Amino acid sequence: MNGWTVAATAALAVGVGATVWGVATGPLRRRVVAQNLSTSLACPALLLLSEGYDRPSYVDLALLLALLGPVGTLVFARLLVEDLAADPPRTWGLTYAVAAFGAAVVIAVCVAAGPSRALVKLLVVGALLIGGNLTASRALSGGFAGSRRG
Amino acid sequence: MNRRTTLLGAAEILAWWAALALLWLVFISAVDALELVVGTSAALVGAFAAWGTRRAVSGW
Amino acid sequence: MDDPLIVVALLLVAGSATAAVAVRDPARQALVLAVLGTVLAVLFTVLQAPDVALSQLAVGSALTPLLIMLSVRKVRRPKRREETER
Repeated sequence: MNGWTVAATAALAVGVGATVWGVATGPLRRRVVAQNLSTSLACPALLLLSEGYDRPSYVDLALLLALLGPVGTLVFARLLVEDLAADPPRTWGLTYAVAAFGAAVVIAVCVAAGPSRALVKLLVVGALLIGGNLTASRALSGGFAGSRRG
Repeated sequence: MNRRTTLLGAAEILAWWAALALLWLVFISAVDALELVVGTSAALVGAFAAWGTRRAVSGW
Repeated sequence: MDDPLIVVALLLVAGSATAAVAVRDPARQALVLAVLGTVLAVLFTVLQAPDVALSQLAVGSALTPLLIMLSVRKVRRPKRREETER
């Protein structure tokens, strides 16, 4: 157990544990936000694991999750539009905090990687992670009103 | 204006091809000849798909 | 060697699977199943099976929620149309 796996354990236990509790209890707006944040927290955890196990190929897992996590949230945002319109989620503080955590993890892993093609790959994963997180959160709070067709 | 539109289309496909090939180059772990061949062909196919998608959406 | 990590991942899977059974409404169950898919992928990574985790991510994050939500929507619609026609 080195520092990276300890950080990954903490991120999983606290972050993803909180989202598992949040998706199982409470009103719909809390559950949807919890599902969104579960993928945005699992992706930095996978980056930390790839560094902790010293296997750069695990970054591909983080890349796929950074791409598909927001897609899953957008599926829910589109197909639960009527239920969410009455009671939209408004948790921008939490979203920005999770995005900042993701950015911190990406910077830490980039520093450990050193200047190489792997660094650019990590930066691409980080951009997808934060961009996807913010896009999915905006879609959940009803920001893309033009795509709604009653 | 057929010649101008084909020239613009070819330039756009070339730009997409360069971007996707660069992305492939960043994502693979070891750069050798086979990877370069596969990467450029896949990027070419992807460039055509992206060009067609952009023309279908026509919102960019 | 990495026992705490494996214990945490197993606890998360157990928690979200129990929640998936305990939640009754299908739309909310779809949300819990999406989280369960992500947590399963993390478990497979921790157990050093990244190819299985890759397949799990591909299926569990986007496809399974989409299928369940489309079925829920299909089942809900006639009921709503009946209510508006009366």
